[in-house]
Amino acid sequence: MVCSSRLLAVSYPTTRLIPHSSTLSNSRFIQGKLRSNYRWRSMASEPEGASFAPPIDAEAADKNAAGFCIIEGPETVQDFAKMELLEIQDNIRSRRNKIFLHMEEVRRLRIQQRIKNAELGIQKDEQENELPNFPSFIPFLPPLTSANLKLYYATCFSLISGIIIFGGLLAPTLELKLGLGGTSYADFIRSVHLPMQLRLLLLVLALGNYFYFNTSQVDPIVASFSGGAVGVISALMVVEINNVKQQEHKRCKYCLGTGYLACARCSSTGALVLIEPMPTVYSGDQPLEPPKTERCSNCSGSGKVMCPTCLCTGMAMASEHDPRIDPFD
Amino acid sequence: MTVSSEQKVYDVVLKQAALVKKHLKTGEDYDVKPDIVLPGTLSLLGEAYDRCGEVCAEYAKTFYLGTMLMTPERRKSDMGNIWRTDELVDGPNASHITPTALDRWESRLEDIFRGRPFDMLDAALSDTVAKFPVDIQPFKDMIEGMRMDLRKSRYKNFDELYLYCYYVAGTVGLMSVPVMGIAPDSLATTESVYNAALALGIANQLTNILRDVGEDARRGRVYLPQDELAQAGLLDEDIFAGKVTDKWRIFMKHQIKRARMFFDEAEKGVTELSSASVGILAIVRRQILDEIEANDYNNFTRRAYVSKPKKVLALPIAYAKSIVAPSRTSSLAKA
Repeated sequence: MVCSSRLLAVSYPTTRLIPHSSTLSNSRFIQGKLRSNYRWRSMASEPEGASFAPPIDAEAADKNAAGFCIIEGPETVQDFAKMELLEIQDNIRSRRNKIFLHMEEVRRLRIQQRIKNAELGIQKDEQENELPNFPSFIPFLPPLTSANLKLYYATCFSLISGIIIFGGLLAPTLELKLGLGGTSYADFIRSVHLPMQLRLLLLVLALGNYFYFNTSQVDPIVASFSGGAVGVISALMVVEINNVKQQEHKRCKYCLGTGYLACARCSSTGALVLIEPMPTVYSGDQPLEPPKTERCSNCSGSGKVMCPTCLCTGMAMASEHDPRIDPFD
Repeated sequence: MTVSSEQKVYDVVLKQAALVKKHLKTGEDYDVKPDIVLPGTLSLLGEAYDRCGEVCAEYAKTFYLGTMLMTPERRKSDMGNIWRTDELVDGPNASHITPTALDRWESRLEDIFRGRPFDMLDAALSDTVAKFPVDIQPFKDMIEGMRMDLRKSRYKNFDELYLYCYYVAGTVGLMSVPVMGIAPDSLATTESVYNAALALGIANQLTNILRDVGEDARRGRVYLPQDELAQAGLLDEDIFAGKVTDKWRIFMKHQIKRARMFFDEAEKGVTELSSASVGILAIVRRQILDEIEANDYNNFTRRAYVSKPKKVLALPIAYAKSIVAPSRTSSLAKA
């Protein structure tokens, strides 16, 4: 098959460099990877040269050059069947490496794109999250980010205190003033025609509420409901805090999940002050001009530089699946 | 005759000690007054030190260096950057480190020492370097060790292995002595304390090597001296085969004995450090050698580790030793 022979041709650089002994020197492998990288690039550049041709042709040429078809068919799995196990493992490893490096290149290209867009005055509408967000443990709640985490805590806390105030102060006062409810526990339990076990349960709840609210005349329904609600919300909060701690554990310790460290050259301002000798001999009534600045070359004006530990992924374990964070966001 | 690795390393140690003595002689703490205070920069530096402190706290957990949290803030920048460099080869992205990457890292290091840091953590180190006598040599040697790992997977003799152990672990020992600080009432010479820290680093690295023989073999690396293997009648193929034979047991006994010698040498001096945690570290890491023996020298398929209860039991012994040890300092006193 034409497809498979092209594939073998592409994968040849990696297999040729694997020695037969089991000693796999790291440096030799890296050389192999770099060489195959160049081969990919030279193949890709051919269709790019024909960029003035209709786009369909360029795409087809690209696909043919890669020798790889994106749509799977009944025979496509057979493409790799001719390789040995070791070959396959090495191919997987080399492709993963390439993806990783390509992701880093994409990040750097995006930075340049951003700069060029800014220079040409083109607005970029795409919004990307600066800090990573993670899903909440509790269903139906929006994902948590460090931004709305504080809001989350505040909401829960106010909810709990609101319920406590309601159950403890408002409801009894309302009952007293408006004469609503106010049956005693004993009467209530008797009036409810439930089996003995549930009545006992209600009795236990009533005792609990007695000690908590220090009155046996409080409306049992309100009291039980308040107590239960407080318990449930506290339990959910504990679960959520645990989730947050777990997620924090996974983030990169050096950049604290942002993917970037402050640029030391411009002190994260993005601009370098130009020092030029100024003539001071001239008349004193003209105020000195503010110093001219130029864009910091270290960080390209963003004020941040790549965190070398997590490679801008913000995660403790960077993999090729992690998208790279844009510094301008 | 070429100078042996041990001699070369000892020279570095002497230089370190001399640097510290020079600082002690001048006595004062330099008051660095920045020429231009740019708005917002002072807080950035403080933030950088805090970040280094957080990184140190994280690693203190793994290495039981509890008292490292109480070291002077300015020294944390040293450790923060050491760990960052370590992460380059031991971290999740280690497979992507190329010689070019290491060259760039080294040029960044040189820039730091020239006062031109690249990012905020570099800035913290640059600030420390400006205020205290810190030698660039151990940092450079650490990077050299990483380069060695990229190209070398066999070691002809113990001399080469010693140099490698110095590069990757001895340097960390040397860099952390000023961080831990020498106890003010210590009677030992500065050189002896540095030597002890160096010995501890080397002992640690040898222990790791002996523990990870199987793992390294699977990656095609043998960190054992080839001439000693030949003397014991062993070949690389025997290591890759992963079978424990009597020849292997005899060989491992010698290796463990040598590692223990280094630990003994280290223990003589680490008690002089003002932080007791390093002494604890020495005792805990030493136990791994006992575990290898307990595993019948099978470091191919079994990973020797010290269980938490054993570690906890070792603490009172370490503490007792640290109290008893000062009575022995007379042997290390200045002539």
